[in-house]
Parts: sequence; C-alpha cells; structure tokens
Amino acid sequence: MRIKLSKDSILSLVAVILGLTAGAILMRLTGNSPIEGYRYLFSGGAMNIERIGNTLATATPLIFTGLAVAFAFKTGLFNIGASGQMLMGGLGATAVGLTLAWPKPILLTVMMLVALFAGGLWGAIPGWLKAKFNVHEVVASIMMNWIAFWTVYYAVPAYFKGPFLETESRRLPSSASLKVPWLTNLFQGSYINLGIFIAIATIIIIAFILDRTTLGYELKAVGHNKHAAQASGINVNQRIVLSMAIAGALAGLGGASFYVGFASNMQIGVLPSQGFDGMAVALLAANSPWGVFSGSIFFGILHTGKGFMNAMTNIPPEIADTIIATIIYFAATSVLVERLWVRLKKKKILRFLEKSDVGAGGGE
Amino acid sequence: MKKLFLGILVVSMLAATLLGCTPKPAPVVKYKVGMVTDAGTIDDKSFNQGTWEGIQKAATDMDLDIKYLKPAGTTEAHYITEIDNLVAAGYKFIVTPGFKFETTIFAAQTKHKDSKFVLIDGSPHAGDWTSVVGNNTVSIFFAEHESGFLAGVAAAQQIKTGEFGFIGGMEIPPVQKFNWGFQQGIAYANKNFGTSITMKEENVIYEGSFERIEAGQQLAATMYDNGVKAIFAAAGGVGIGVIQEAVARAEAGKEAWVIGVDVDQYAAGIYGTKQDKSVILTSAMKYIDQAAYDMIKAEKAGTFPGGKTLTFDAKNNGIGIPKTNPNLSAEIQASVATVFAKLKDGSLVVAAVQGDLIK
Repeated sequence: MRIKLSKDSILSLVAVILGLTAGAILMRLTGNSPIEGYRYLFSGGAMNIERIGNTLATATPLIFTGLAVAFAFKTGLFNIGASGQMLMGGLGATAVGLTLAWPKPILLTVMMLVALFAGGLWGAIPGWLKAKFNVHEVVASIMMNWIAFWTVYYAVPAYFKGPFLETESRRLPSSASLKVPWLTNLFQGSYINLGIFIAIATIIIIAFILDRTTLGYELKAVGHNKHAAQASGINVNQRIVLSMAIAGALAGLGGASFYVGFASNMQIGVLPSQGFDGMAVALLAANSPWGVFSGSIFFGILHTGKGFMNAMTNIPPEIADTIIATIIYFAATSVLVERLWVRLKKKKILRFLEKSDVGAGGGE
Repeated sequence: MKKLFLGILVVSMLAATLLGCTPKPAPVVKYKVGMVTDAGTIDDKSFNQGTWEGIQKAATDMDLDIKYLKPAGTTEAHYITEIDNLVAAGYKFIVTPGFKFETTIFAAQTKHKDSKFVLIDGSPHAGDWTSVVGNNTVSIFFAEHESGFLAGVAAAQQIKTGEFGFIGGMEIPPVQKFNWGFQQGIAYANKNFGTSITMKEENVIYEGSFERIEAGQQLAATMYDNGVKAIFAAAGGVGIGVIQEAVARAEAGKEAWVIGVDVDQYAAGIYGTKQDKSVILTSAMKYIDQAAYDMIKAEKAGTFPGGKTLTFDAKNNGIGIPKTNPNLSAEIQASVATVFAKLKDGSLVVAAVQGDLIK
C-alpha cells in the first residue's frame, strides 16, 4: 500500500512538472521569461500571509469538489455534476442563512447540514437513475447541472434578492457567514474562512471511510468489478446510489463553503467552475483524499497567483489563462503517465516470461 | 523506469534552457492606469472593450503604462484580488466596468486609500445599497433610456413598418432602461414620423446572461422566423450571437437587422462577398470610452472629481448613436439629431422607468 501511494505521488509530480514545462514553453513562445512568470505566479499565490489565506480560500471549494469526483470514481462513477451539486448546496445554505436568525454556531451547523443534504439529493438522483434504469451518470449529472442552474436562476430573484439587483441574493449577515473575524485578522484581511477546517475534517473522514470501513471496501469493490461485487453479495445498485449521494453531499458542502464562505451572496447565471476543476484535481490526485488536498492547494496557488503574474509581467490575461489551462491539462494527464508506466512494466514482464519460456498465453 | 527518468531529464533540460533567458531591463516609469474586466472577455465588443478603448486612447495621448486583469471568477473576492494585484504592481488608478464591482470598490476605496477608482455603471456600497462614494472614487452612470430612445427613433424610421424585438442580457437596470427607452423611441417615431412599428410581448426577452453566444443565436433565429425585422440586442456576448444569426440570414439574402449596444457595433455585423455591408442598423451607444478617457485626463490635470457621482446623458454628449451610420439615410440621421437636441435642451423627456411598457 505504501509503495503504491508513493508511486501515485511520483506520477502526479511528473504530471505537474510536465504541465509547468508546457506553461514555460508557452510563456517563452509569447516572448516572456518563464523564470519571471513563475516567480510572480508563485509569489502571487504565497508571498504574504494574506495571499496564503486567499490561496487556501480558493482551494477550499476545490477540495470538496475534488473529493466529490474522486469518491464517485472509486465506485467507478464519473460525477460530472459537482457544479450543480455545489449550486444546490449553496442555495440551501444561503436560504437558511438569509431566513433564520439563530446564534452563529447553530445556524452554521444547520446551514452545512442543509447543504450536505441538498447536494446529496442532487447526486443521488443520477445515482438512482443509473441503478434503476442504467441511465449513464455523465449524461444525468450534466442535466442535473442545468436544472440546478435554472433553479438558482429562479429562486434567487424570487425569494432572496435585495431591493435593487435582480441577479444576486442579498448579502449574508456576518452571523451566517463562514468567515470569522479571528481567522480573517489572522490572515490579514484574506478571504479564508472556516470552510478550510471543514474541508480537512472531511478529507480525514472520507479517507477513513474508504480505507477502514466495510462500506468503503464495498464501494471500491463495485468500482473494480461490478459483477464480481454482485456475485459476492454486495448490493451493487444500492451502493451506486449511496456513492453518488455521498459525492453529491461533498460537492454540496463545497457549494456552501464557496457561497457562504468565499463569497457572501449567490449570483445567478453562473455555473461554478470549481465543479469542473474538481475533476482535474481528482485526476491529478489519482483519487486519493490527501492527494486531493495537495492538488487543490496547487490549483489554489495557480488561480490566486495568475493575476499577480499578469500585473507584474507583459503576459496578457488570455495567455495567462491558457498557461493555467495547459498546466491543469497536463497535470490531469497523470493517468497517461501511469499508463506509460504500466506499459513499460508489462513489457518487462513479458520479456521476462519469454525468456523463461513460460509463454504469455494469447499474447497482446 | 529508465525511459521515464530519461524523459524527466529531457524535460528538465528543456526547462532549464527556457528559463535561462534574462529578464528585460525595467522601462521608464510612466503613470500607470489599470482595469479589471467584468464577466466576459476584453474584446466583448461591449462594456469591457469600450472601457479599455478609452484607456488605450488615453495611453496614446498621455503616454501611460496601461494594463488590464481578468479575474478568475465574478465574486467580490475574485475582483478584489485583481485590484490588490494592480495596486501591488503600482497601478494606482483603476477603472472597473459594471455594477458587479459595487461592493468591491466599496472595500477597495478604504483598503487602498492611496489609489483612485473609477466605477462605471455603479455606485460603491457595502451590500446594503447605501451609496458611499469615497474621496478617491468616482461613480459614473449613463442615461441608457435616452440612448435606447434615439436608437428606436432611428431604427423605426429606417424600417418604417413591421415587427421589432428586444433581447437583453441580465434583467438589470442598465439593460432594462435600454429596453424601455427603445420602446418609447418606437412609439415616438410612430406618433411623429408616421412609422408603423410594433413590438409583441413575446419578442421582448432577457436571456439571463451576457455570455452565452449560442443562446443569443437561437433566440434571434426564433424571432426572425416569427417575422421580426430588427432586434435590439443589449446583451454583451449574447448580442454577438444575435449579430451572428443576422449575418447568416443576410448572407442568405433574407432581411435581418440588429441594433447594437454600448459601442458602435457596425464592424461586428459586416457581411457580403465584398465585406461592405453590415446588419447593424445603428447602435445605442454609451460613451464608456469617453468616460474612462475623461476621468484619466482629469486625474492627469489634477482635477479628478473624487467623491462625485456623474451621469453621462444627452446633456453632456455621454450617449447617442454613432457619428456614421451607413445603414441610415441622411434624412433619418438629421431627424435623430433634432430629437437628440430636444433631449439635450430638456424639451423631450424619456422615462427611465417601466410604466406600462413591456418588461
């Protein structure tokens, strides 16, 4: 197990290096110095305590969506609906936060629970459709994204808008925000909020479920081989629904961390990009919970530092976006690097088998 | 295994050569003006572009160092991060286009007291809509209803009879005012210039975003199919989709016109084998570029009107239709100029509220 983990980390690091190299080539091609570019990119994400706070704040929703995608992957499901689950979680939390005037600890707990269930429901529906009617979860969860998008589009102006603006909800009172003064002050006015602690706690819980519980074992078994899992007495359909529900709940929490932590209100007409970045994070992390954490921090630095790189160099914002996208794209190809690895290994084994005259059966 | 390490070696060598170049020497220090873009791109042929063009013009005339940054998202946190970046890089005169910056500028004007801010189409507030324009901030509004009115008067006279439509972006005050002004302009032309233009309720639509080009295309296609001759598109990127649909139809020899918005969109609607025709009848302009330019000029002259809220309307030539409109006859342009003069001297007033107008 330990060896496998470290192999995954190496693969991810190789992918990151590939991404950064591709970004460097792009910077060079556009007539800029990659050294300068990267210096400002990384210092923009980490040069002072406020920026470190912002990097963590940017990473927080990504941790949740990364987990949401990774968790479903473990059961062999591709959860492309994290954006919609985020929206529903955010809407639930915002609705509670704007409606109830309870003391902060109770209110926040209720808000997070509502987000958890709203996201969970949004994940469970595609899971149920998959289990019951074999509707592909990719199609169903994309559709759920748009249903969530338009639900928010209707609900926010209808129930939660301010006196003037039709396109966003009222601002949450500070008693309903995940931002807390001591944390904001500790990071010198940054957007960091309690979400990061919830995220870390969630990683620990998810890692525990996956590695130490029967449920985790069964979910992974379904992911590895559905039929074998069925034959060994696991209720595959039920596990599919549950896996998607948990994945959705994770993204729902991510939505809460984004809309009532990072932001202070909900805008309509925006499908949060964190849902999609979550896929890249999960790929880079090879679906390991702690990998998701590192991957999110890495993406957090990229997103936070990009603007500083723009401001300090002559790299235009569009090129900067391309550079970031390239880094993410290459970083997410750790699967390809792994394939290459496995292939090289296989060849070695085959060669060994040939030599020792055992034969490789049907061959390739 | 070996191959992998070889690969890494090659990659790192490549990286080393690329990184090896020396940074350029620092240029002469010029006055620095920055901008943060709203949702959408810098070449949105609308708000961002208009603002940026004004800044570019100022840069040519006043020898400035200019820069725009594109936020990673549209929340206050994203916007303020980019403002922090600009300030950190020495850009202490910052122009932001759009109402979405209201709470951001409220925070920024206190956080960066030594910087100056121009907020176009909005007024800074803490989220409670109580406007607080700091001494280092200028808030600028436009009389969109007057601009839409003039475009309506012009378009109605050119087309004379038939159906018009309206496609808006988000249902927000500036877009709504364009719509209401446009409808009043058509009514004015029908009453005073003998035109017979109608607008049906189903042909007044807010798409809901400023980005989805394909949605604009579909909405426009439906309207044109239902017999609409000209569409007023006040919708950013969605409007680009409307223009694309009109261009496709015009190329096929069908009648399809668009009334542009914010900036002179004539060039966006060019078609034909010789590229000499355009589907843009005229544009309901807000001289965003002028506003940005004027503020920079004032700052350079030491007369930055910090703490004030300015309105750009017909009275100070802050709105209007383009100076040249190849698709409008000379008489119509003259007629619009007379109407403009009436708006200017106050003898004609356009309502900035819905009243009994559609949406």
